[in-house]
Amino acid sequence: MKTSKRSSWIIWSTAIVAITFASPFGQTAAAKPSDAHNSSPTQWSVQVDRIDPANLTIASSFQVAIYENLLEELNKTKRFNQVLRDGDRTAAAAPNLLVLKTTVTRFVPGSETRRAVTTVSGATKVTVRTQLVTRDGRIVLERRIDGSVRFFGSNLRATHNLARNIAKAIKQSSWSGSGQPS
Amino acid sequence: MNRTCFSGSNRERFGGYTMISVFTLLFCCLGALAQSTAPAEHANPAFSVRATHLLGFEKTKNNCDGILSIQDDLLQFQQRGKPGAQVKIATVLDVSLGGESKQVGGLPMKLGKAAAPYGAGRVVSLFAHKKYDTLTVEYADSDGGIHGAIFQLTKGSGELVRNELVARGVSAVSLDEQFAKQSTAEVRNENK
Repeated sequence: MKTSKRSSWIIWSTAIVAITFASPFGQTAAAKPSDAHNSSPTQWSVQVDRIDPANLTIASSFQVAIYENLLEELNKTKRFNQVLRDGDRTAAAAPNLLVLKTTVTRFVPGSETRRAVTTVSGATKVTVRTQLVTRDGRIVLERRIDGSVRFFGSNLRATHNLARNIAKAIKQSSWSGSGQPS
Repeated sequence: MNRTCFSGSNRERFGGYTMISVFTLLFCCLGALAQSTAPAEHANPAFSVRATHLLGFEKTKNNCDGILSIQDDLLQFQQRGKPGAQVKIATVLDVSLGGESKQVGGLPMKLGKAAAPYGAGRVVSLFAHKKYDTLTVEYADSDGGIHGAIFQLTKGSGELVRNELVARGVSAVSLDEQFAKQSTAEVRNENK
């Protein structure tokens, strides 16, 4: 009886000590990401410009799909304070604003039926030149990015792949918000 | 005997008159109803068509079916059993029409085609496609931010919606019609 009492007392005291020590460690562990977040130099916002088809003839649906998918994918990266649309008046009040300019350099419309029938042909391919530009016109990031559908999916899926690749390129770039070109 | 026969034919004749008078009354009522509803339709012509929302329309899931309608000064898309999302037609900047050919049957069809022996699936693919219209609508939100929404409609319906929007003062882009010609030319060039 005595030994069981003693052992339960030991367990209880160990548990209390563990909780007391664990909570501050837990707090520091939880605080780490937010500290890192706060220590980032500046929180930038980005405004996505409408897609520039340059001199290519590209369907409006493709331009709109690239634009909308870009907004969605950039929001997912959580790299920017705000992701704003072209023409948004609130952009004027944003302190650190970057503008994402996207120009189509190559477009092959492809065909879903041809892909299904032949497998090797009918791919939809979009290539764009994407630039992150500061308000004063300085280019901080410039990339040439592709998006394509080769086997399954509708033609518009190429725009989703392209937007995802652009967001990935921005996320993986060495540009850290300091405004230095990469 | 004769009397009973006579009274029977009388009854039939009476039934016939009753039927005729009921039908006449019914036609009169329908006519009156049509007359009373016709001016109302003219004053407030609503237009609706079945569509699939591909992407971009506010508060609406991607790739969902519903009804695209134009009523008064609103363009509305309503999913089945859900409240509709709507934008004012005055905020619509551009509307353009395109075409797309898609494979039908979805995933079951795809699996079936893959499982078919001797490449029979490819032959099926050759015929198992359907042409759709894609309607692209660009509009501005309250902050001036530009949105783009894409709807997929059955062949021919897209033009009706576009004409309806154009009739209400929206500018239409005719680029897609040129694109349709150019894209086929590009595809041909690619093959060479």
